[in-house]
Amino acid sequence: MVRTILYAIGGILLGLAIHLVVILTLPRLADNSVYSQIVRSMPSTRPNFWPVPKPGEANPLRLDPNVSYAVCLLDLTDGPGDSPGVLPVAFWSIAVYDRTGTVLYSTTNRDGIGRRSSLGIFDPAQTRLLAEQKIDIATGALDRRIAQRRRLRPHPPRPAASRHSRAL
Amino acid sequence: MRFLLNLFLMLVIALAVGFGLSWYALTDGRLFGAYQSGPWTAWTQSGSPRRPLHARLPHPERRAAARPGRGLQLVATTDSDGQRLDRACRYRIDGRTPTATFWTLIPVAVNGASIARADGRPGFHSARVARANDGSLQLYVSKRLSPLNWLEITGDGPFSLVLSLYDTVFFSGVGSNETSLPSIIREGC
Repeated sequence: MVRTILYAIGGILLGLAIHLVVILTLPRLADNSVYSQIVRSMPSTRPNFWPVPKPGEANPLRLDPNVSYAVCLLDLTDGPGDSPGVLPVAFWSIAVYDRTGTVLYSTTNRDGIGRRSSLGIFDPAQTRLLAEQKIDIATGALDRRIAQRRRLRPHPPRPAASRHSRAL
Repeated sequence: MRFLLNLFLMLVIALAVGFGLSWYALTDGRLFGAYQSGPWTAWTQSGSPRRPLHARLPHPERRAAARPGRGLQLVATTDSDGQRLDRACRYRIDGRTPTATFWTLIPVAVNGASIARADGRPGFHSARVARANDGSLQLYVSKRLSPLNWLEITGDGPFSLVLSLYDTVFFSGVGSNETSLPSIIREGC
């Protein structure tokens, strides 16, 4: 009986080891990560607006339909990345992710940047070379980054009004 | 013979524990590092460089929770009594929301699609809801006409409520977090 209990405890420990191996390897093996979906759907390095999910449409990335998302894929092996542009008065945020989904840097309209964005994205070697520049710097250990920009969408028309206008 | 039986028992337990825990972590996993308050669940460490191993697994709610800029997403799949949210019922979301620049509340199906009426709003928005004098909210989600703030939903089957907070101080230690999340009350089916 004691021996059977020891085997059962051994089974539990072996099961925990199996679980550890699974959760360590699965993120590397998964082919439906956000990063791989972006690479598949947005091969260029230009900013791309993600389509706003409409009611009834599948929304695997769980995007908020009240918010607009723009994504830019950056490859830092060719040089530093930058994200220049004029931002709206309404709420916005900019974030830099690595391929594992870790947020390396993020900022919002409440951080006093103003409406003109001047975000430079560098790897550690480039950061050392540009340490004296007066720009926001996001650093990380990997060579590829994703910059995501999002802003609050303007108010949609009231449904009651649209129904009324169709009835007329 | 007894050795073989014990070995078989050990292997069965190992496979059940190993793959059972992994399946749970991939499909639900709320016991592994999720914040829970009443019916609301949040993956507060998603996107953090120091997040635990389970928070790195490919999971829709965990990847959605990686909201930068002090954002946070809370998901409810049950009402405050623990019953699964069902589109055949009327629900009242009652109380206050945490301090945030703005928030949205979207009813979604299992695949993340909004189940709001196609020609209507996708969900509630903090700037477009009526409040009581004390700032509290009463939001209704149902297929049938409801008073005050009402969002019409479509279809049948279970659904989830997704509360997205933008630029929030939730979890920053400012104010009382536990009392600021609204309750979800089933009013009838």
